[in-house]
Amino acid sequence: MTFLEFTEGPMFYFAAALFVVAGLWRLVGIVRLGKKPDLAPARGSAATGFLKGNLRHFFPRGLFAQRTWMHLLGGYGFHLGLFVLFFFAAPHIAFIEKFTGLSWPALPRWGFIIAAEIAFAGLIVLWVRRFSDPVMRLISDWDDHVGTWLTFIVMLTGCLALQEAHDSLRAIHMLSVNIWLIYFPFSRLMHAFTFFLSRGATGANYGRKGMNP
Amino acid sequence: MTVTAFKLHPLRLLVAAITLLCLAMASTADAQSSVRPPEGAVDSPGITAPLGEASDADIWRQLKYGGTEPPPVVGDNPILEVPGRPQNVFEALMEEIRPSETVNVTSSSGQPRVMQVLGEEWRLLRREIILPYAGWILVTVLGVIALFGIVRGRIKIRGGRSGKYIPRFSMAHRIAHWFLASSFILMAISGLVILLGRTVLVPIIGKEANAVLTSAMLQGHNLFGPVFILSLLIVIFKFMKGNFFQWADAKWIIKGGGLLGGHASSHHYNFGEKTWYWIVVIVGLIMSATGMLLLFPWVTEVLAWHQLSTVLHAGGAILMISIAMGHAYIGSIGMEGSLDSMLRGEVDENWAKEHHDLWYEEVTGKKASHDEDESAPGAATAEGSA
Repeated sequence: MTFLEFTEGPMFYFAAALFVVAGLWRLVGIVRLGKKPDLAPARGSAATGFLKGNLRHFFPRGLFAQRTWMHLLGGYGFHLGLFVLFFFAAPHIAFIEKFTGLSWPALPRWGFIIAAEIAFAGLIVLWVRRFSDPVMRLISDWDDHVGTWLTFIVMLTGCLALQEAHDSLRAIHMLSVNIWLIYFPFSRLMHAFTFFLSRGATGANYGRKGMNP
Repeated sequence: MTVTAFKLHPLRLLVAAITLLCLAMASTADAQSSVRPPEGAVDSPGITAPLGEASDADIWRQLKYGGTEPPPVVGDNPILEVPGRPQNVFEALMEEIRPSETVNVTSSSGQPRVMQVLGEEWRLLRREIILPYAGWILVTVLGVIALFGIVRGRIKIRGGRSGKYIPRFSMAHRIAHWFLASSFILMAISGLVILLGRTVLVPIIGKEANAVLTSAMLQGHNLFGPVFILSLLIVIFKFMKGNFFQWADAKWIIKGGGLLGGHASSHHYNFGEKTWYWIVVIVGLIMSATGMLLLFPWVTEVLAWHQLSTVLHAGGAILMISIAMGHAYIGSIGMEGSLDSMLRGEVDENWAKEHHDLWYEEVTGKKASHDEDESAPGAATAEGSA
């Protein structure tokens, strides 16, 4: 068995299984926490608040928009770029099809490159802000930096293997993907799945009290 | 037999010489007759014999530089001056190749040539000058920085830290700076592997590994190029204010930045920082333009532009990496208090007084005293402040 076969075979199966099981375990755990019974009469809809809480946090409040424009651009650039990279890159679609049989149209190469560049620019800006902003620096710990760097390495190794001419580069990319999958459920990277719960919980709280989240 | 029997008579000598000469001529004639042109070879109209009568150097020069340009000088060759015949080897060959067509060979110079000599010149320039010198320049710069660090040590804030801080760079400035720094580091590492990998890395990691590494670095370099350009443009606009040269900079130069004695005053940026900014602007834009041309080579079909781009790109990279190393050193471990400005966005008051007194006076409204500087020439702002 070659190293590439190992990283795309047994190691990938293990990492993917751990990612799914541990991720579900955390999500179910959060939902099962429930909430304290609220004896006060409801003045609005908690469900609407849940939805509003999620939607309103996609846009910064006017007061903060000017101060955080770079963070805003970086944040959107990175997340949207990563989403496009992950779901619409031809090699990724081929890889997913190999395991699931599912396939969809891929982006042309230039589109992939642009998405990657936007994602990289965004990630660098977000990380730079993390250590440049005194407040961000204080509330960040090693988990934030490890998560950022792992994601960066996954993206970087993927882009370095773009030529698809060397198995070793693909194997290095798969190795970093596997490590990322294993680390993901136990870190703040889980915010990819938990952000809507936290925003929704806050929104529901406010909504029930008849306030805008 | 006596010695006198062998006494050489002049007549005998003459006979011997004639005999030897005849033998030599016979052997030469025999040797020439044994040299045959290759099967199917044709005589070119400008050359009376396939071998021997025009020197190889002349032929190659003609092929390389064409029929109308110096340095080929074959006019002294009577063989090429036969009326009605082509006047040089190049024309002769072209006539042979295309007897009825106008000579129109595409080349980087626009002149008709059989051989693309510019490619060879570029290759030699790259191999003989850029590659060896690039490596040595970087090693030398590293050595100079290390030596400076050992001799000068860490430059301390005179009087120590005051504990009071003055805002120097906004959040947007800091993000822009580190954004450029990050993309520059990625570009520099990948670029150096591409440029020097064959010379430096092959002996260490072998050809196979170097091929894989170079392939990866090339992809990375091409990918991060536009990110670098974006970050460069942000820095150019964000840092332009305050980086135009002022009268205080002339005084700063006259005082050698403090090395020649006394305090060299400066505004928000000193002369060294301003120069670095404009190098980043000018060289960075040249690097960006040449890089984009190399990334999208179909923009122009003139090969000379591509070759010039590779030379400028490599030269600019070495220049920027060299200065960036010095900038990084003095902005971090080389000078106490410098890194604060780009990490925290604020600097210690004493640091500001010492290195950017005019700016300090401007933002605080207080007078900066330099009494200690006058008594210690060369210790004030000689190295700038990153």
